[in-house]
Amino acid sequence: MLRIENLHATVDGKEILKGLSLAINAGEVHAIMGPNGAGKSTLGYTLGGRPGYAVTGGTVTFDGQDLLELAPHERAAAGLFLGFQYPVEIPGISNLQFVREALNSQRRARGQAPLSGGEFLKLARAEAAALGMDAEMLKRPVNVGFSGGEKKRNEMVQMGIIGPKLAILDETDSGLDIDALKAVGEGINRIMRAPDKAVLLITHYQRLLDYVRPDFVHVLEAGRITRTGGPELALQLEREGYAPVAA
Amino acid sequence: MVSVLELPSPRLEEWRWADMGALRAAADAPQRAAGVDPKSLFLDIDGPRLLFVDGAFEPAHSMPGPVTIARMAAESAHPLGSLAEGEGWTLSLDREAAAGTVQIVHIGSGCDSQVPARIALAESAAASVVETFAGHGWANRLTRIALGTGARLMRAVRLVQADGFVSIRDEAEVGEAASLVSIFLGAGGAGSRIDGAVTLAGKGAFAEMGGALLTRHEQKQEAAVAMRHAAPDGTSRQLWRAVAADSSTASLAARAEVARDAQKTDGEQSLRGLLLQRTATVNLKPELEIFADDVKCAHGATVGELDARALFYLASRGIPEGRAKALLTHAFVGDAIGRIGDEAVREAFAADAEAWLEVAL
Repeated sequence: MLRIENLHATVDGKEILKGLSLAINAGEVHAIMGPNGAGKSTLGYTLGGRPGYAVTGGTVTFDGQDLLELAPHERAAAGLFLGFQYPVEIPGISNLQFVREALNSQRRARGQAPLSGGEFLKLARAEAAALGMDAEMLKRPVNVGFSGGEKKRNEMVQMGIIGPKLAILDETDSGLDIDALKAVGEGINRIMRAPDKAVLLITHYQRLLDYVRPDFVHVLEAGRITRTGGPELALQLEREGYAPVAA
Repeated sequence: MVSVLELPSPRLEEWRWADMGALRAAADAPQRAAGVDPKSLFLDIDGPRLLFVDGAFEPAHSMPGPVTIARMAAESAHPLGSLAEGEGWTLSLDREAAAGTVQIVHIGSGCDSQVPARIALAESAAASVVETFAGHGWANRLTRIALGTGARLMRAVRLVQADGFVSIRDEAEVGEAASLVSIFLGAGGAGSRIDGAVTLAGKGAFAEMGGALLTRHEQKQEAAVAMRHAAPDGTSRQLWRAVAADSSTASLAARAEVARDAQKTDGEQSLRGLLLQRTATVNLKPELEIFADDVKCAHGATVGELDARALFYLASRGIPEGRAKALLTHAFVGDAIGRIGDEAVREAFAADAEAWLEVAL
């Protein structure tokens, strides 16, 4: 589904990704772990197409398409979902309006008919309920006044409504208490554990991996993947830290 | 018609941002078809309707209800307001009377049009007045407002003239426990100058004057508003939003004056500008002049661009860039338009702002 080869990327002229390669097949869950400053978030933003994150070498194909050729909104329409470490607050736009615009923009781009207000509301309410988010919060401005945990839950509600093929979730577990972590983990499994979908979890700690069991764990250090293993690698990292494992 | 036009000089501080050249050009513009159907400018709301074409009342297209038409002098010392004399309208309501929503549409076809107006609401009377400006030329208006004890006036004015210039002068006196809310939207192609002088004359009066000015190309729009607290326990709100695209200029000057006797005044000024391109200009001038010692006057003035993080967040969810900018800009002006109480009026104003954004972005 996603094939990254020898990816180099810079932020503000400084090279952060230095020849990263990774292949994710449909039906797989991958976790990328690594110390602070290794380039984890840069990888997510680069794949999402954030302005200021410049690709200076390598290729990324998504379902056979050159991902790097696409504008950020086209990447979303192609089926990529980027879960933010720090979801942005947007005063004056309700959650419902925002996600409906997003979903219908994607549907139009794919040549599908937009959902009506009623159809959309039903879908949104069902997703909010499944993730334990109060339906009233759908009417509130996007993330404004939400706690850290509520913002992450809201990311998952958006993911559930949009239904992407590939979710790249950046530190989705940070800021969550244990109940929220469980709800978010179950949400990821329910929405994304399917033969035609895939997940890339970017995380610093392994605790989310107790709920979302990865098929592969990669260690990202200094802009490259230095080691790949199964779920046991995450436990080893948690126990021993990054330094001995990488060495 | 104004024969010899004497306009204020930009050397005067209150007129430094005023585009009097555009006003003069609009007044000198040859007449041409207005190109708008007046029916499309009345909102689908029951109530009295008045149509003025080039400043002349059109009885055939109007149902004035309690509004009367007569020649009036321009009783104002204001340089532009004092020019607005001739046929005008008056809404005068007795004690506890209610007028519902009065709609007034002004259509211009070039040259100048001068219309004076007077709104006088006696004790506990209530009215809503919605005015729309469309077409071309220079439309100059003076509206004098007097609200008796406990009277309530909701006023909403939208400027959707295709080109030319609209100048509006409001002079209001708000009585004890009375409420005046005036919201303006500049979402057309005309230059504008909105002038307001509101006196909170009675104890516990509430007065609000605010809105949104959207400018593009070389257009210049501005508002210059003064709130004068003359009695205790008054509340005033000045919430203005300016959005400037291309090489346009939007200017907001808001002043609050609190007299020595006006204790327990609660004033708020919020002036915010959004630059859609760096070639555009937003000027903000918040002013406070306080002579009482027990008052609360909050004020804020900021100019910025659309938040790049928010734009990327919307894009990452599949919303194309132009649409993302429109949504964020609409949300920015939504604060000001949201002050309009009547839902149908508010939605019509929001739709005008939305239409402007679709063209400008």
